[in-house]
Amino acid sequence: MLPFGSLPLAASVALLAFPTAALAVDYPPAGNPGKGGTKVRAGKAKTFTVCKQRKCKYRSIGAAVRKARGGDTIKVKNGTYKESVNITGSRYDRLKLVGNAGKPRKVVLQGKGLKGAKAQNGVLINNADGVTVKGFYARNYKANGFFVVNAVGYTLTKLVAGHTGVYGIYAFNSKGGTMSRSEAFQNNDAGFYIGQTPPQSKPKRSIVSKVKSHTNVLGFSGTNMRYVTIKDSDFYNNGSGIVPNALDSEKFPPPDRNVISGNRIFWNNFNYYAGAPFTIPASGPAGLAGYPIGVGVLLFGSQNTVVEKNKIFGNWLAGFGAIQQIQLALQKDPKLQEASVLRANTVRNNDFGLGGSDLNGRDMLYDGSGTGNCFAGNVVRSPNVPADNSTFAPCPGPAANTLNSSAQQEGLSWVLGVNKSDPSTFEKFWIKHPHSSQKGIVPLERYTR
Amino acid sequence: MVYMGDGIDGWNDVHGIDGARLDRRKFFGVGGAALLLCTIDGKQVAVRTPGDVEKVDAAMASLRRPRTVAKRRQAQRDPLDSAAFPTPQPQPGGQQREYWIAARPVKWNVAPNGNDQWMGKPAPRPSRFTAFVYQRYSAGFAEPIGPPRMPGPTLRAEVGDTIVVNFRNMGTGRFAQPVTVHPHGVRYTPDYDGAYLGDFTRVGGFVEPGEEFTYVWEATPDSVGVWPYHDHGPNHTLNTFRGLFGAVIVKPKGAPIPDVERVLYMHSFSPQVTGIPRLIHCINGRTFAGNTPTIRAKVGQSVELHVIGGDSNFHTFHIHGHRWPDSGGANVDNPTLGPNETITAAFREDNPGRWLYHCHVFTHQDAGMAGWYLVDP
Repeated sequence: MLPFGSLPLAASVALLAFPTAALAVDYPPAGNPGKGGTKVRAGKAKTFTVCKQRKCKYRSIGAAVRKARGGDTIKVKNGTYKESVNITGSRYDRLKLVGNAGKPRKVVLQGKGLKGAKAQNGVLINNADGVTVKGFYARNYKANGFFVVNAVGYTLTKLVAGHTGVYGIYAFNSKGGTMSRSEAFQNNDAGFYIGQTPPQSKPKRSIVSKVKSHTNVLGFSGTNMRYVTIKDSDFYNNGSGIVPNALDSEKFPPPDRNVISGNRIFWNNFNYYAGAPFTIPASGPAGLAGYPIGVGVLLFGSQNTVVEKNKIFGNWLAGFGAIQQIQLALQKDPKLQEASVLRANTVRNNDFGLGGSDLNGRDMLYDGSGTGNCFAGNVVRSPNVPADNSTFAPCPGPAANTLNSSAQQEGLSWVLGVNKSDPSTFEKFWIKHPHSSQKGIVPLERYTR
Repeated sequence: MVYMGDGIDGWNDVHGIDGARLDRRKFFGVGGAALLLCTIDGKQVAVRTPGDVEKVDAAMASLRRPRTVAKRRQAQRDPLDSAAFPTPQPQPGGQQREYWIAARPVKWNVAPNGNDQWMGKPAPRPSRFTAFVYQRYSAGFAEPIGPPRMPGPTLRAEVGDTIVVNFRNMGTGRFAQPVTVHPHGVRYTPDYDGAYLGDFTRVGGFVEPGEEFTYVWEATPDSVGVWPYHDHGPNHTLNTFRGLFGAVIVKPKGAPIPDVERVLYMHSFSPQVTGIPRLIHCINGRTFAGNTPTIRAKVGQSVELHVIGGDSNFHTFHIHGHRWPDSGGANVDNPTLGPNETITAAFREDNPGRWLYHCHVFTHQDAGMAGWYLVDP
C-alpha cells in the first residue's frame, strides 16, 4: 500500500471496502416494529418449566415456547440445551424466558453441533414486543447469542454471550429496550450491538447498563443506532471499545441522540489479527476494511450524541476519537452526505488516563469536521490530535467547527495504513504506557491460548 | 380529562379522620374530599374515592393514541391541524438550555420530620403516599440529578435562548398513562404546547409510558417572569395534583440572579390523590413548618421568592416582618394569587430574625401551609 499521506482523500477512501454490516445469513427481513397487533391469550398467564430430566414435561425450551403465549413465563432449569430458541410473532408479546438469574452460566444454550438455521442464534426474538430473557449463557452460535429484531421493547438481562460468529447481544430495527447486567466476550464482531433504529417522533430509549464486554472485535457497535444510553458499564480488552457508526449498508443513517455515560473504557488494544479465540474476521467488522485497534470511544459519524463522565484509560491509539464518515460524505445522495456530518455532539467531564497511572496513547482525536460539536470539563493527561487543540471547541458548540485536515488524515491513517496480513501494522501508530492493575483482569494485546 | 369542581375545606381538615382505611361514606364526611369530575368514554363521572381514581387511571392507561381515533372523524379537522411549524432556534447570542426530565412515581412523605415546628406538636399521620413528579436527569436519563422534588426542576433561560426539554414518561403501575409538559410564559408552536386536545392532539400532547419527546420553547422578551409548567395530558388535573408541576424562570439577557431565589408552590393533596382522609395543604409538597422549605438569607442580600398557586384554591402569601412592592408599585405583605398564577416577593433583606411565611387563608395556614424564614444579621 502507498503511504497514506500521498493519496488524495477520495482515492484513500476508495481503498476502503464496505460490505454489508451484518455478516450472518438467515436474518429475518426488517419490518415495521410494533405493527403486529397484540394477541395475548385471554385468561391467566401460564408458567412452563423446562429441564433435562424425565420429570419435566418439556425437555427443550423450543417445546415450551411452542405451547406458550404472550405474557406466559418459561422457567428453564440448569443444564445444557443444544437448540436455537425461536420466539417469532406477536403471539409471544411479553413472554418471559427465565433461566438462572443468579448463575446464568449454569443454563447453557449450546450452538456447537447444530446445523443450518438452528446454528444461527441462541435466542431469536422477531416481531414480538416486550419479551424478557434472563439468566442464560449462549455460546458457539454462528451468528448471535441473543438477537432481537423488529420489536418494540425487550429486556435482556443477566445474560452471558460468548464465542459467537457475529454479535453477543444484539437488537436490530427495534424501538426501545434494555440490556443490563450481562457479559459478552470472544465474539468476532461486537459484544453488544444496537443498530438501524427507526427514527421516531416520540422515541423509545434503549438503555444498556452494567454490562461487561471484553475480548471482542468491538466492545459495542452501533450502526445507525438512535436513542441509546450506554451507562455504568465496562468495555475492555476489545479491538476498540464503543463505536457508534454511520453506514449506508443499513437503513436510517446516522447514529443520533445517543449517550455514553459513566462507563469504564480501558485497554482496548486487542490485536485479533495476530490470533484470536474466534474466527478472525475476513472482511473486517461492521463494513470496514478494518477498524483501528486501540481506540476507547470512536464516533465514526454521529449527531446529538453526548459522551460524558466516562473513565477512559490505557487505549494505545486514542481514548476518544470523532471523525467524519468520509465514505458517506463522498456519496451523491444529499441525505447520505448529511448523515456523514458530525453534528451537535458533546464530549464533557470525561476522565482520561486514570489519574496518570494508565495513560492513553493519545487522549482525544477530533478532525474538526461538522457543526456544533463541543468539549468541556474533560481531564486530559496525554496529548490530543491535533496537538494544538484547535478543533476542541468549548460548549455550547460553534455554528461551524474548524476542520483540521492533518488531524483527519492522521485518523484515517489508523484505518488505511494497516494491512490485515501483517498484524504488526495495527500496532505501528500505538503509543504505549505502563498499565494500572485492575482486579481480576489482565491486559490483552495478543491472544495466546 | 379530569377537572376540579368547588373545593370544600375547613377546620376538620386538620383533625382529619385517622387511619388510611376509608370507605365511601367516610369519604363524603371528609371536608377535604373536593369534587372531581371526569369524562370516561364520553360520560361524566364523579371522582370521590380512591376507588373512583383507580377507575380513572385505568381508563387513562388504556386511552388510545389520538391519531388512531381521529381517522373516523376526519371531517372535523381543520387544515390548521396538519400545518407544520418550524422548530425554534436560539436568537443570535442566545443559547440552548437543555434539560432531561422524566415523569416518575415516587414514595412521598409530606411531613418527613414528623412535626409541626410552629405549634410544637406532631404533624398528623399518615403522611405517605405515592406521588408523581418531574425528576431531573443527566443526559440520556443516565442518572437522576438530586432527589425527587416538588416542584420539579426549575427551568432557567434568558431572553433569546431556547429551553429544550428532553422529556421521558417513566410512569409505571397505575401511573402508566400518557403525560406531557405544558409551560406557561414562554413561546411555543402547537407541537410543543404539551396539551392533549382530543382528536386535535399534536405530537407533544400525548407521551406514553416509555416514550420520550423533546419540547423546544422560546424565551422571548415578553417571557420575562416566573411561570408554572405542568402536565396537560388527558389526565392533567389528577396528575398535576399528584406532583407533576414545576417552574420556568426567564430573565432579561445578562440580568443578575438574586442572592436568594426560591420557587414556592402553594398547593394541596386531596384524599382522592393520597388515599389519606384529609386535605393536606402544602408548600412544595410538604406540610407544616420544618417540613416545608426553610429559607435562609442574610441582611443585605437581594431576595426573590416566587410563589405559584398550584391547586384550585386562592391563596395569599405573607411573610412576617417584611414588605415589598407589587407589580403596580403598591407596598404589600399579603398579596393574593390564584391557580397557576405567580407573584414575586422581591426585596433587599434588612430585618434579621426567625420569621414565618404562610398562606393567610386561615384554614390553609392551620393545615400546614406555613414555613420558616430565617434571616442572619
